[in-house]
Amino acid sequence: MREIAADVAVIGGGPAGMAAALKASDLGATVALVERDPDLGGILNQCVHDGFGLIRFGRQMSGAEYAQVFADRVYDSPINVMTGTTVLKLQRGARGFELHLTGEKTGAALMTSGAVILAMGCRERTRPQVRIMGTRPAGVLTAGAVQKYINIEGYLPGRRAVILGSGDIGLIMARRMTLEGMEVAGVYEIMPSPGGLRRNIAQCLDDYGIPLHLSTTVRQVHGNRRVEGVTVARVEESGGARRAIPGSEKYVACDLLVLSVGLIPENELSRNAGVEMNPITGGPELDNMMMTSIPGVFAAGNVSAVFDLVDYVSDTGERAAEGACGYLSGDKGVLDCIPPIAGDGVSFVVPGRIRRKDPASELYLRVKRTIRGARLEVSASFGGKPDEIIAARNCPIMTPPEMATVSLPSCVGEADRVTVRVVEG
Amino acid sequence: MNVETIDGIAHISGDVSDWKSVVDLGHKLCKTPGVENVVIDRADARVRDIGRFRAMGDVDEADVVVIGGGISGCGIARELCAYDCGVLLLEKNSDISEGTTKANNGMIHSGYDSKHGSLKARLNVEGNALYDRWSRELGFAFNRTGSFVCGFDAEDEKIIGENFENGSKNGVPGIEMLDGDRAREIEPAISPDVAFALWTPSAGYVEPHEVALALMENAIRNCARLRLGCEVVGFDLSSDGESIERVITTQGCVRCAHVVNAAGLYADDIAEYAKDRFYSIHPRRGVLVIFDRLKRSVLRTYLGLAPKNYTKGGGPMMTPQGTMLWGPSAEETPDKEDLSVDEEGLGFVVDKGVKLLKDMDSSDMITYFAGNRASTFNEDFVICNSRRLDNFTHVAGIQSPGVASLPAIAGMACGLVVERRGYGRNKNFDPIRAVRPAFRDTDFGEIGAENVVCRCETVTEREIAEAIRGVVPATSLDAVKRRTRAGMGRCQGGFCGSRVLGILARELGCDPTEITVKGEGSNLLVSRTRPIGGACDA
Repeated sequence: MREIAADVAVIGGGPAGMAAALKASDLGATVALVERDPDLGGILNQCVHDGFGLIRFGRQMSGAEYAQVFADRVYDSPINVMTGTTVLKLQRGARGFELHLTGEKTGAALMTSGAVILAMGCRERTRPQVRIMGTRPAGVLTAGAVQKYINIEGYLPGRRAVILGSGDIGLIMARRMTLEGMEVAGVYEIMPSPGGLRRNIAQCLDDYGIPLHLSTTVRQVHGNRRVEGVTVARVEESGGARRAIPGSEKYVACDLLVLSVGLIPENELSRNAGVEMNPITGGPELDNMMMTSIPGVFAAGNVSAVFDLVDYVSDTGERAAEGACGYLSGDKGVLDCIPPIAGDGVSFVVPGRIRRKDPASELYLRVKRTIRGARLEVSASFGGKPDEIIAARNCPIMTPPEMATVSLPSCVGEADRVTVRVVEG
Repeated sequence: MNVETIDGIAHISGDVSDWKSVVDLGHKLCKTPGVENVVIDRADARVRDIGRFRAMGDVDEADVVVIGGGISGCGIARELCAYDCGVLLLEKNSDISEGTTKANNGMIHSGYDSKHGSLKARLNVEGNALYDRWSRELGFAFNRTGSFVCGFDAEDEKIIGENFENGSKNGVPGIEMLDGDRAREIEPAISPDVAFALWTPSAGYVEPHEVALALMENAIRNCARLRLGCEVVGFDLSSDGESIERVITTQGCVRCAHVVNAAGLYADDIAEYAKDRFYSIHPRRGVLVIFDRLKRSVLRTYLGLAPKNYTKGGGPMMTPQGTMLWGPSAEETPDKEDLSVDEEGLGFVVDKGVKLLKDMDSSDMITYFAGNRASTFNEDFVICNSRRLDNFTHVAGIQSPGVASLPAIAGMACGLVVERRGYGRNKNFDPIRAVRPAFRDTDFGEIGAENVVCRCETVTEREIAEAIRGVVPATSLDAVKRRTRAGMGRCQGGFCGSRVLGILARELGCDPTEITVKGEGSNLLVSRTRPIGGACDA
């Protein structure tokens, strides 16, 4: 059996993994970057639309362009890049962490490393998770799959599409399919407000006259061999659940149903390795250096929580690399941490624990509902005294799909309690 | 509706638009003394022009033609191979197992519930006992785990008591009534609300499409032949009307000495083509729910509720591949092709699972789908030689516990053919099918350089290519999925679908737009984005 050793093993060669590998290499670690696909870049390779890199590079780039910047740097570095290689198992062994690998070129190989960075990204939610009834014909696909068929393979998976879910990928695909000559009958969203970024509603639907039907969902798929149509229905909220309004059903003819109904962090390797998970983010429990419940195992990007902007994904990769390198040269024990509390208006914060010894960090959060004229406040209590505000900023508008960030000052290390909340300012 | 009973067969005709009334009447008639089964004469029955198929002339011949590539047809074909006859199996779909077989929960029932004295009861207990040998010979997964029928109240207790009596008479080995605590000692996943249970240790489970494939592959190794995409549309009878001379199919005519009707949901149509219809199939739809592999250690055995209907439906169980499966439900439907899942069917399955299991909800559901059981109105198997034709054997009404009974069904059907035709033993018959373990089940020390295509179920490109080039070739995405599990996991093919499609196109030497999900008319891609587009290489 071939054996490979590295200080840091990075699993996943998308934006999080590439940023992590580059940073760890810059910090002097020997790094192995393992990617299943033949190319680095992950899902960015099929993102031919722009809107990437605004924060990091100050300009509009396509996803593929953004990925290429990192891929070029990776290939120009001493990083051991292993594309076309799958990690079958991650476990703790006698000499650190052990990764079981296989790949056509790599062969079966055992990798040992001092630290691991999980950067497997996320996957799309599928039909059963939104309980669509009816038949199972050809022509029900997730938005990401449609994107791959059109942008990478060069094939159309239908002529007339209905899109369920107004998440960003669905919106991007509404425009893409239109530009490729398909008809988009409409975008249906079960929630009363859109799931994607405001700029995507404007640029992908409004500019092309594609209707967005809010508080409406797809109930049923028709057609035995190929999709022939779907039944849509308006929904109302009653007792915390959203139910179809009887009599509001409508048949919409289409040959393709595109599902853009959310993303789930891809954590099967993490779970099997025994990493503790956070039920709200779907990612591992993390500290502010992106370390999981297993010391030496870090997570970066969409595997840790689903981000809206790739720039943040790259940031978390670099942060995880700093954490991994710090771990290799420093304290390997369990660290004393303080958990920031998601207070009023906040659905979750990532990371969920802040190291008392090294607390300065960026905190990512999502709000529960749209707030105009919002004020984001971090408060803390010290020595049993009442909470005081230690960081705050004003935002003209905050919406659930858009992740917000806030920098934590180093004083949180001494706090008894830290709370993040969003109020109407 | 009009009813006329001729030779023990009740014929229902007239306005049969209210399907529930038809089904109720059919069941009631079968309880009448002297009525063996029920035929429905539907005014909307399809009449097909078969002239152009007959005009294709003879394209093939065989000693025995088996109609239907479901698990029954595959089993009968394999058993016939042990005799000195040439077997040809005709399947209308692009793959075997495309009908009822693919939507069966794989339960190998112990045989406690089939009414004592029925054919089902006998074949179930016999068939169950043969699974160890079949599994060894054919290399398919079979787990004999035992099953529970769980009771909550006095009504359940009465029904379960009756089942205990019935099962004891049927000869179910090890059948036992347990209190709730004793049941939970054996199966800790049982809900604390369960007060008592009927335990039958001989129950188990298989993957029905894996069994069908194993049978068909072994049959082909023993010189049976298979025609896929070959639908039977009629027969040419001899001039005296006493035997079948030729089977007319969509691929042309097949001369044969004997015909076995194992056409599942369409067995009544096939019988009608031979002017020998004495049963009607009334489809009973069942919804199945599959859970994420995360739930693999939740349950070990099978849990059911006290049966209160013609079918008890299915409860929670684990497939041999380690995924939790709930269902099926049981809902009468007039349409054989209607495989839609509705809230009622899904709700039935989910409610039952939640009721029976401790601390379980439906949040990790990864897919659900439906199949139709091929029931006749007397709700027993119909396995017999035709009374009108001297070379036609019926294997119809195979519904629960059909998979459990299969080895006995196949043996009995084979016996009927062999006895009638006088075939001797085939000395060269090799009952063994060698299988290579799946990549995911191979020790890390044993694996080689492989390209993993399906990440959820860990399926490699080699495995997919081998399935496509297999003895029974996989030519659609679903066919690849059934053989390898690629696309069967939690992402439901979101990541690997396009790669599997690319491998299919490469191996079959066709354009990606020709690749289907499940045969004709289910193409996944409609065209290239533009005349000179990208490639869809694997």
